[in-house]
Amino acid sequence: MALMTIAEALRQAIREEMRRDPRVFCIGEDIGIPGGWGGAFTVTLGLADEFGHERILDTPISELGFTGVAVGAAIGGLRPIVDVQYGDFLFLAMDQLVNEAAKMTYMSGGTIRVPLVMRAPVGATRRGAQHAQSLEAFFTHVPGLKVIAPSTAYDAKGLLKSAIRDDNPVIVFEHKLLYGSKGPRKEQGAISAVGEVPDEEYLVPLGKGVIRREGRDVTIVGKLLTVYRALEAAERLAQDGIEAEVIDPRTLVPLDKGLILDSVRKTGRLVVVEEDNLTGGWAGDIAAIVAEEAFYWLDAPIKRVSAPDTPPPFAPVMEDFYVPSVERVVQAVKSLF
Amino acid sequence: MTTEVLVPPLGTTVDTVTLVKWYVEEGETVQKGAPLFAVETDKATLDVEAPASGVLRQVTARPGDVLQALSVIAVIAAPDEVLAEKTGAPSSSTQAIPSTSASKPGQAVAVTGKRTRIFISPRARRLAEQRQIPLVGLRGSGPDGAIVERDVLAYLERNVAPAITPVAQRMAEQAGLDWRQLQGSGAGGRITREDIERALATPRSEAQPMVSPVTVEVANTPLEVISLQSVRATIAERVVRSHITTAPVTLTAHADATALVALRQQLQQDDIDISYNDLFIYIVARALREHRRLNASLDGDTIKVWQRIHIGLAVDTDRGLLVPVVYDADTKGLAQLAQETRTLIARAQAGQSTPTELSGGTFTITNLGMLGIDSFTPIINLPECAILGVGRINRQAAVIGENIVARQMVWLSLSFDHRLVDGAPAARFLRRVVQLVEGPHLLMA
Repeated sequence: MALMTIAEALRQAIREEMRRDPRVFCIGEDIGIPGGWGGAFTVTLGLADEFGHERILDTPISELGFTGVAVGAAIGGLRPIVDVQYGDFLFLAMDQLVNEAAKMTYMSGGTIRVPLVMRAPVGATRRGAQHAQSLEAFFTHVPGLKVIAPSTAYDAKGLLKSAIRDDNPVIVFEHKLLYGSKGPRKEQGAISAVGEVPDEEYLVPLGKGVIRREGRDVTIVGKLLTVYRALEAAERLAQDGIEAEVIDPRTLVPLDKGLILDSVRKTGRLVVVEEDNLTGGWAGDIAAIVAEEAFYWLDAPIKRVSAPDTPPPFAPVMEDFYVPSVERVVQAVKSLF
Repeated sequence: MTTEVLVPPLGTTVDTVTLVKWYVEEGETVQKGAPLFAVETDKATLDVEAPASGVLRQVTARPGDVLQALSVIAVIAAPDEVLAEKTGAPSSSTQAIPSTSASKPGQAVAVTGKRTRIFISPRARRLAEQRQIPLVGLRGSGPDGAIVERDVLAYLERNVAPAITPVAQRMAEQAGLDWRQLQGSGAGGRITREDIERALATPRSEAQPMVSPVTVEVANTPLEVISLQSVRATIAERVVRSHITTAPVTLTAHADATALVALRQQLQQDDIDISYNDLFIYIVARALREHRRLNASLDGDTIKVWQRIHIGLAVDTDRGLLVPVVYDADTKGLAQLAQETRTLIARAQAGQSTPTELSGGTFTITNLGMLGIDSFTPIINLPECAILGVGRINRQAAVIGENIVARQMVWLSLSFDHRLVDGAPAARFLRRVVQLVEGPHLLMA
């Protein structure tokens, strides 16, 4: 058992899978250059020393190009792990991801497999509108893609290993404030997601959520950073006698619907917290599922706590206002009683 | 932005008022706080202020209309505002109150129109339906005053013993186990046979901790907790309303029913099977024809003396007191009355009465004679004016001339609402009933 940050846990997952399977390789910008950071957030730091530049492939700034290379390699039988420095750059690679990777298995009647992993950092971290977005809903909307969003070191390693072994394209959203990156890549306002990671081999299956905190009065669903916001809000609410149950789905597609529905059937109230913009977001989808399948168990309206419908602002004070705060979660919950 | 113009609730005793006049015509401008219309209650005439500034629109009430408190009688809109057409019958919110509604619980709430829409969470509604709790009895404490689960649970805690299956109840009672303390594991929290078996398997000392010897148990425990639902709630509402709103006086008279008893025996020998109730309905209906003021109802500020005579008969059933009604009783013969009352009573006892069978009465007869009661003070069945209580018929010593002889005697108790009729006319009616009981041959005259 070792204590690890999420960045370290992801690195170990990649290392183990590359040792285990020679078809696995990494591709992206500045992920292995000598003297570099090991990608934008240190996840691939040092891997080139062990596996060489043949399997830790540095590319020019060309997201569409190297994603296309990876899709082709996956179809050809390799298992690429693609790194975009910021999730915002996924828009450059949309055609390869949405039109090719996501649909190839469907269009070929199952004869073609695309075992590709796309790693993408998300979250507002003092970098302004184009390096800060939360993009999960763009990809949960695309049939054919799996989407994971680990919020602890244990889950990061176990889910990434499952993603690498999965025969479908999997998008991994990693939150910049949860990496626990050190040295020059230490993030201001980061949350310590350092956790125990077993030494022995383990996997976290895709499609299984967890209850981070049990409670009887209200269900709060969060992902990535907002799991921590929800947990902090739950502690504050407990002081007022409201026991919140906090759910972390971990995998967004396929979604562990049953876990959320069972919890709402118990508590009768639901608040969904996410960092994405309100309209058309993932929170609205969770609300719709519960309204459709557990309506008669609801004792209050469903609340979404999301970012407003604006780009993430650059000014720190505005960014703090933009990202859902603990206080907003507490207020949303209290409005249901 | 439109603002509804509501009839204000004027205290707890007044739920209808009469519209006297509008100070502002439809289409005219009104300022918030200015007098908008005047209403009259039983006590006074009051001006009601405009709740907002704007143009008075969609006026649905006219001077003279009787209005239910909290009904919407107009709206105040911005001058250029386009209003949606009122959907449905305009009478839904301003309807004059039908005379029979006064004593019907539920309706008193329902006629207040859209203001009475109940906001309740789906979870709370589900629980309330499962446990058959009337929503009107619940008070909301949730967001925006909505009824939420805890309100239903609080109601259940106050009112209802836990649900239990018949088998489980029998087992518990045989074992002397207080099943009301148990937590049910069956559907909807119902206590099942398994729950009873589990409770019986648990050692007593654990299940029911001994009261420490120094503690003196003074708190009383109800033997049975009965929820005021359905029939019981209706009875409760009606008797309280009668008790509060009427000015009841009870007159009693002792009548010699020897001839009536003989008449019944004779009819039975002739294979006409009639009860004393049928005879009393027959007699009272005919006496009412001559004493119309007792066949009346109070409706707002008018007394309605009814043309037709419909006699209600109080019937004791498993579900509580029901009063099926024999329509036009004064036009029906004894055999027909007997046949009708038999059917009505059987249907009431089987819980099959239709609403029509249980409404529309103009006078009620209640008979406790078969239970050995001599005389009593019946409670008036609103909106009727009077009710006749019939005691048991039994042989008693009576003075006839200079002799003391055994006669079949009966006490008759007439409760009437002094607001509608004075003591003397009511006494004259009772004297006529006594006369007909003592001399049923007069019915032929």
